[in-house]
Amino acid sequence: MAAHNDPLAHPEVRQGSVLRYVAGTVLSAGAMYFAYVQSQGQHPVVQLLEILGGALLFSLVTQAALFFGLDASRAQIWKSISLILTVPLFLVMIGISVWAFASLYNRTMPDPAIMNSMSM
Amino acid sequence: MASFTKAGADTVLWNPGADAHDTISARTYGFWLYLLGDALIIAAVFACYAVLNNPLNANGGPLGKDFLSASKGMLQTFIVLGSVLSYSLATVALKRGSKLGVSLGMIGAILLAVVFLGIGLGDLAALSAAGDGFARSGYLSCFFTLILTHALHMGFGILWMLVMLVQVGVFGFTENVVARLLNLRMFWQFQASVWVVVYIYVYLFGGAH
Repeated sequence: MAAHNDPLAHPEVRQGSVLRYVAGTVLSAGAMYFAYVQSQGQHPVVQLLEILGGALLFSLVTQAALFFGLDASRAQIWKSISLILTVPLFLVMIGISVWAFASLYNRTMPDPAIMNSMSM
Repeated sequence: MASFTKAGADTVLWNPGADAHDTISARTYGFWLYLLGDALIIAAVFACYAVLNNPLNANGGPLGKDFLSASKGMLQTFIVLGSVLSYSLATVALKRGSKLGVSLGMIGAILLAVVFLGIGLGDLAALSAAGDGFARSGYLSCFFTLILTHALHMGFGILWMLVMLVQVGVFGFTENVVARLLNLRMFWQFQASVWVVVYIYVYLFGGAH
């Protein structure tokens, strides 16, 4: 990485642009509004989960690319890689916790009415 | 007579002809790793919320679908994204070396963040006043923890911006100040990413079911 006598010439300072940030905000807000409208409808649970999950993924990817500026450039590559390596940890932490406790509830809690109402 | 060379004297640990050490990149990457660690803490709270979000853990009290407003959450989402846009535009002004632009962007971000916190904390206060506070049930304990964890990030972000307003005015855009402004940009964008996950999972999915 080149030395910068002028900190304002640093690549991370230069990467910002009005167009990129406005586009990131509009796309992310649009995805949230789409999700909001869909949540007011009468979708089956699984379908709603897919729609909301898709909107969330779109919003997060948009923010990663347009807000954080993550890409494969020399200035950002290690941030991108460290994020990619962290994503499985999120999935493991949340996924295994939910799976373990859902299984636990189903095996140990006696009231079927409550069990049925637990389905998310 | 044999000559003795001090151990390690010929060892090249780093290429002396390489480009100079990039302090700003080192700082932003270090802070990025902190943010990933912070995200894992928040993921743990999300896991807790997902586990406790059922009638068994509501202890007869309300669940999210009973008191959360998706439309108000939508308003908060727009506000927090607006705040992020304002700070991000401040860093565009940083490219031009404009102290006024940076300061105005930060002030806009602070004002919107205060409005966001006012709405969120007001809702929590109303919930508590109705007898459904932090200690009402396991579900509400985790709900309060999740919302307050995000609010805490916003609070520190506001404090950080206030400090940076002073530093920009006093020191100008030195290497240290620029590195802090870049880290703050990541931090502020990060809390918005956390919020959209909260909104989708807690307000929309949890509110509908």
